[in-house]
Amino acid sequence: MPTENPNTASRLVYLLAGCVLLLALSATAGETRQVLVLYSTHRLLPANLEGEGGLRETIANSVELSAEFLDYPRFSGESYAHTVTTFLREKYALRPPDVLVVGGEGALAFLLDHRTELFPQIPVVHMGVARSFLQSIPSLPADIVGVPVECDFSGTIDQALRWHPQARRLVVVTGAVTLDRKFEARLRDEVSRFQGRATAEFLARLPTDVLLKRLGELGEDAMVFTPGYFQDGAGRTFTPREAARLMAAAATAPVYGSFNTFIGIGIVGGSMPNFAAMGRQAGEIVNQLLNGAAPAELRLPAIMPTTLNVDWRQIRRWGIDEKVIPGDAIVHFKAPSFLEEHRNGAIMAAAVFLLQAGLIAGLLVERRRRRWAELAVQKQCSELAHASRLAVAGELTASIAHEINQPLGAILSNADAAGLILESGADRRDELREILADIRRDDLRASEVVRRLRTLIAKHEIERQPFDLNEAVSDVESVLRAEAQRRRVTLDIRLATTVTTLIGDRIQIQQVLINLLINAMDAVADVPEYRRTVVVSVANDARGITIAVRDRGHGIAPKHLPQIFDSFFSTKRQGMGLGLSIARTLVEAHGGRIWAEDGSDDGTVFQIEWPPASTMGVPSPEPA
Amino acid sequence: MSTTPLIHVVDDDDSLRTALLRLLGAAGFEVRGYASTGDFLLYPLPDRPGCLLLDVRMPGPSGLELQAALQRQGVALPVIFLTGYADVADSVRAMKAGAVDFLAKPVERAALFDAIQRALACDAVQRTARQEAEQLRARFASLTLRERAVFDRVITGKINKQIAEELGIAERTVKMQRAQFMVKLGVNSVAELGRLAERLRRLSD
Repeated sequence: MPTENPNTASRLVYLLAGCVLLLALSATAGETRQVLVLYSTHRLLPANLEGEGGLRETIANSVELSAEFLDYPRFSGESYAHTVTTFLREKYALRPPDVLVVGGEGALAFLLDHRTELFPQIPVVHMGVARSFLQSIPSLPADIVGVPVECDFSGTIDQALRWHPQARRLVVVTGAVTLDRKFEARLRDEVSRFQGRATAEFLARLPTDVLLKRLGELGEDAMVFTPGYFQDGAGRTFTPREAARLMAAAATAPVYGSFNTFIGIGIVGGSMPNFAAMGRQAGEIVNQLLNGAAPAELRLPAIMPTTLNVDWRQIRRWGIDEKVIPGDAIVHFKAPSFLEEHRNGAIMAAAVFLLQAGLIAGLLVERRRRRWAELAVQKQCSELAHASRLAVAGELTASIAHEINQPLGAILSNADAAGLILESGADRRDELREILADIRRDDLRASEVVRRLRTLIAKHEIERQPFDLNEAVSDVESVLRAEAQRRRVTLDIRLATTVTTLIGDRIQIQQVLINLLINAMDAVADVPEYRRTVVVSVANDARGITIAVRDRGHGIAPKHLPQIFDSFFSTKRQGMGLGLSIARTLVEAHGGRIWAEDGSDDGTVFQIEWPPASTMGVPSPEPA
Repeated sequence: MSTTPLIHVVDDDDSLRTALLRLLGAAGFEVRGYASTGDFLLYPLPDRPGCLLLDVRMPGPSGLELQAALQRQGVALPVIFLTGYADVADSVRAMKAGAVDFLAKPVERAALFDAIQRALACDAVQRTARQEAEQLRARFASLTLRERAVFDRVITGKINKQIAEELGIAERTVKMQRAQFMVKLGVNSVAELGRLAERLRRLSD
């Protein structure tokens, strides 16, 4: 380990020396730069506040900004100027400003008069000084710089006359002190331009109460322009803004002003220099000077631009057509629209809303699709069930034809007989009457067969109604009686002893029964005749409602029992294997269950059961 | 013995049966209705011209079964089948068993009457043939034993001399007996006798 390094000490020395140097440098750099702003008027004049705001916005925080107010025109005169000069000189003797800013023409004039006594070497930046004033100074020193302003009285009046096409009287209000008189003089000069468009009337140097009364008597043909005033005819002092506020409040005609500080106090607006902008402009010049730029080398705009400012509330109040307001006008107090005010929130909300709407729409579409799919499935099931009924009807063709042709044959023969009787000329009215009665009865018999068949095979709206299972089974019996006879099978129908009500689609339940009965008749087709019996029993007891269809055929092979309700499973040569599958679907749609078991002696028993609670079984649309 | 044809109608459907009976009655036939094959068999069948209108499918024995039973019993009543549903197998079976027709219900009057006329014609032919055969048999039965012996030999083409020799009788006796059975059988020539003998042979088959 090194214990003693000859270089270590010398390095330490260098390091210490460096630190000292850095500290010294930073102390020099840390010397706070001073900027003094000297305003013509008093501290609370809105123009001064705005200008100061603009300056502070622009000039770095590290620069110390001091402000002094000459308080013109309340205080004036030689001795006042002398006192202020002495005060400022002594006040800033130890901390002289690096740059001096003069706000307003009064301050610039004061400085020009007393510069030698005050801060002779310090560069000066003027702000809010009219170009005409600067032009009136014989020789402005090169280190006094700034961007002049121009109060655009004519522009404001011109604009106002356009906004009030009915105005014929241009009322101009001015005050009593020097500054006010300057404005008055200038305005008297400028209004001559509007001859022909409006007659100018000057309300100059009036006591405020008189003035306000006059303004309150103006009619629709008048409009008012004022630069405000510092003092009225009665010697009362005002800020121009305050004076303008009183005028706007009292006037029965729209009031236009010359300074943007007037906006918001009741005037309509005007083409105005912006004091905050003036402050920012002056601040930028100050920055450049502090950075060591030579005043003479600065490239400055020729003049501060004026902007058209309007108070939206006044636009509405005086019914000014908003279309005539130029697009570049700054509109104040226009209640921001909801979107303007809560743009981000609104965008968020809209996005959330849209997302939600999209989601909802998506879900709805999904739901609709599912419904469509369900409907398609229902339709398919329905058509399958219907096809199955048609197939049943097909199997019954022989017996159905027999059942219908029987009465048809009787009708035809009876009609033929009647014809022969009539041809014979014998008076056998009684017999003819009997024949007609028979024809009628047979006709009804045939149509009853057709009706039963139609009921069975027609497509129908799925019903959900209570029906008597006993009746339904009896109907099935009548549909199948002829078929059973044809096949020499005995149908043994044992109905429940009580009314047995199911809720659902009667035809679907009948379809199931017909299916089971035809299967049972098939099952006994090749057994000896004494066994060719199918027993249907309906029971309604504590266990619920049950239907059993029992045959004494050869039974179902045990290996087939689990499959018989599957689609396309059939042990018949010509079977599609759909009958029992559809039967199970229909029974389950009615809240019941169906199964097959071995008969006690021989054959098979198909059981359908509705537990007590589900006798209110809900059938679904054929089936679903 | 009445000669008016008697039509038997077997159909389990009361309404249809009544209508058929009415129609046939109005057409001038004598009719008799039965609700089942059993009913029909219960009643003795009168010896009259007629035919049987038979439903194919009935509870109990079917029409086809009745047809077969009648044939077994040698009842030659012509059968017209009526069916509610024209099953090909049934119709083939019925026609093979000699049915006159196999009609589908509802049956047109003309078709029905046409079938009945054919059945009756058929019945008439059968009856005539049967009557002639009966007559022939009766005549043949009236021959004496000696005459039968001569007859048997005549129809085999033997001459009187041979017959006399075989029977051990005089040729003159043969001639006399031959003349006697020719009269009894109502024939005039040996050729006629030959045809008669042929018919008799067929009847006895």
